[in-house]
Amino acid sequence: MGQTIVYVIVSLVVCLAYFTAVDHFLMDSQGLDFWYLLRK
Amino acid sequence: MGLVAGKKLFSVMALCAMIGLLLLPIAVSLPSLALGADAPEEVKKDGEAKVEKGRDVYYKTEGIVVGAPAPKTVDGPRDYPRYNFESRVLLWFANQQHLYYGSFVLAVPIFCMVIEFMGVVTKDKAMAKRYDQLAYDFIKISLTAYSLTAVLGGILIFTFLTLYPAFFGYLSSIFRPVMHIYALMFVAESGTLYIYYYGWDKMKDGFLKWIHLSMSVILNVIGTLLMFLANSWIGFMMSPAGVDEQGRYLGNIWHVIHTALWNPLNVHRILGNMAFGGGVVAAYAAYKFLASKTDEDRAHYDWMGYIAMALGVAFLIPLPFAGYWLMREVYAYRQQMGITLMGGLLAWLFIIQATMIGILFLSTNYYLWQALGRMRGAEKYQRYIKYLVFVLCCGFLVFITPHTIVMTPAELKAMGGQQHPVLGNYGVMSAKNGGINVIITTTILSFVWYMRGNKVSTVSWAKFGNIFMGCFFGLAYVNIIGLAIYGYYIPANVRVGLSVPQVATTLSCLFFMFALNSVMMKGAKQMGAIEWGKISARSQYALIMLATAFTWMMGLMGYIRSSVRLFWHVNEIMRDNSPWAYTHTVGFAANMISFNVLFFWISILFVFWLGSLGIKKAPVEAKAGVPGGAPQPAGGH
Repeated sequence: MGQTIVYVIVSLVVCLAYFTAVDHFLMDSQGLDFWYLLRK
Repeated sequence: MGLVAGKKLFSVMALCAMIGLLLLPIAVSLPSLALGADAPEEVKKDGEAKVEKGRDVYYKTEGIVVGAPAPKTVDGPRDYPRYNFESRVLLWFANQQHLYYGSFVLAVPIFCMVIEFMGVVTKDKAMAKRYDQLAYDFIKISLTAYSLTAVLGGILIFTFLTLYPAFFGYLSSIFRPVMHIYALMFVAESGTLYIYYYGWDKMKDGFLKWIHLSMSVILNVIGTLLMFLANSWIGFMMSPAGVDEQGRYLGNIWHVIHTALWNPLNVHRILGNMAFGGGVVAAYAAYKFLASKTDEDRAHYDWMGYIAMALGVAFLIPLPFAGYWLMREVYAYRQQMGITLMGGLLAWLFIIQATMIGILFLSTNYYLWQALGRMRGAEKYQRYIKYLVFVLCCGFLVFITPHTIVMTPAELKAMGGQQHPVLGNYGVMSAKNGGINVIITTTILSFVWYMRGNKVSTVSWAKFGNIFMGCFFGLAYVNIIGLAIYGYYIPANVRVGLSVPQVATTLSCLFFMFALNSVMMKGAKQMGAIEWGKISARSQYALIMLATAFTWMMGLMGYIRSSVRLFWHVNEIMRDNSPWAYTHTVGFAANMISFNVLFFWISILFVFWLGSLGIKKAPVEAKAGVPGGAPQPAGGH
C-alpha cells in the first residue's frame, strides 16, 4: 500500500511538472504569457 | 544462376527507369521554365519602354509582366456556355468524384508500401507472407480504381473546357510551365504502378524484394508530387500569388505554386487522403467479412479491416491539427476569409463538420471496444467502457454546440438572446478545442487498452508503469479541460495560443503512452490468442460508418474550401460572373454532398466487384491458425 502511494505521488509530480512545462513553454514560444491571469 | 542474375539486372533497370520517369518531367520542364525567363529578355531587345513591371499581390516583389490580365467575364455563351442545367453543379460532381478516386489511389499505395515493408522486415516468415498478401490485396483494389480516376480526370477537364472556358484558359495560362509536368507525372505514375503490380510475383524474394519495395517508394513520391501540383491550383484560386493585381503572370512559377495556403493544404490533404483510403479499405474488408462463408475468410477480412482502420485512424488523429493550421493560415492570409468560414456565412457547415468528426471518433472507439471481445483477458476493460462513453459524449456535445442558433423571433425572446444562457457558453473555440482534444485523447486511451487487451506486462516495474500511465492520462484530461476553462478568463489574443499546449498534451499521450505501453508489453504474458473473425457484425457496420462519414466529410470540407471564395474564380483577381456565383443553402449543399457520396459508394462497389472477378481462391486450410497470429490470407495472386 505504501509503495503504491509513493508511485502515485511520484507519477503525479512528474506529470504535473511536465504538463506545466508544456503549457508555459509553448505559450512562451508564441510570445504569450501563460500566467497572464495570475500576474494581472 | 544466370536467370537470377538476369532478373536482378532487369529489376534494377526497371527501378532506374522509374527514377528516370520521375526525373523526366523536371528535365522536360527546364526549357519551359527558361522560356519564361527568356521572354522578358526578348522584350528588352525592343527597348526598355516596352518592359512593363508589376507587383506581386502576395510576395510584394516586382516582376516583369509576361502574361495577359485575368479575363473580365460576362454572363453569356462565350464565357459561360451551358446546358439546361446549373454548370456549377455539374463541375462540382465531376470534381468531387475525381477527388474521391484520386485520394483513394494516392493513399492505398502508401499503405501498401508500409505493409510490404512490415512484411520484409518481420522475422516471422508466416507473418511476412501474410503482410505481403495483404499489401497485394490493397494494391489490387486500387488498380481498377486507378483507371477510373484517369477517366474521371478526363471528364473533369472536358467539363471545365465546355462550361468554364474563360476561367480554365486563364488558369492554364498561369500554370502553363507546369501543366505538362503534371501530365508527364501522371504517365510516370501509371507506368510505375503497373510495373509494381505485375512485378509482384517475379520480385518476391531477397534483393529483388527490396527493389520492389523501392519501386513502391518511387510510386508514392510521384503520387505525392502529383497531388502537390494539383493543390497548387486550388491554393492559387484561394490565395493567389505570382501575379499582379490585374492577374498578369510575373514570370516566377514558384511564386504561383508556393502560395500562402499551399503547404497547409498539402499536409491536410495527405493526412485526409490517408484516413479516407484507410476507411474505404476497411469498409471493403467489412463488406467481405459480412459476406464471408468460411471462418478463414472471416478471419482474414477481420484482420484486413483492423489493419486498414488502424492505419486510417493513425492519420485521422493528427488531421484536426492540420485543419487547425490551415484555418490559422487562412486567417493570417485574409481575416475576412476566416470569419466567413468559421464565424459567418459558412459557420453552420463547420457545425456539421464537427458532428462528422465526432461520429468518426465515436465509430472508431466503438469498433475498438467491440474488437476487445475477440481477445481473452480483455474482459477486465469492459466495465470501464461506460466511463469512456460518458467522456466521449461530453466532448462530442461541447464540440458540436453552435455559437448561435437559427430561431423565430418568439424563440429568440423566450431564450433571452441569440445564445442559450447555459449551452451558449460552449459554442466558442475555447470549449470546442477542449472538446475535440478530450475526444482524441479518449480514442488514444481506447487504442492503448486494445494494444494490451490480452496481455499482462512482465517487466519488474509494471506496477509503476501502470500507475504512471493512469496519472498521465488523468492529468492530460485535467490539463486539456483546465486550459479550455482558463480560456474564458483571459483576453482573446492570449486565449488563441492555448490551443497549442492543448494539442501538445494530446500528442504527448499519443507518443509517450504508446511508447511506454510498447516497452511494458515487450515479452508480456499472453492471456489468450486474438481470435480473428470472432467479432460482432456490429463492429463491421462501425467500419462502414467510419468510411461513409469520412466520405461525407471530405465532400463537405471540399465544398466549404471552395465556397469561401464566394463570387471569385480566383480570389480578388478574377470575378465569377456566371449566374451561379452565389452560395448555396446548407440544405442544397448537404443534398449535393450526399448524392456525391452515394454515387462514389455505388461506383466503388462496382470497382470492388470487378476486382473480385480476378481472385483465385487459395485452398482453405482445415488447421486453425497460430494462436495470436494473423489469419491466413483468403486469396492468392
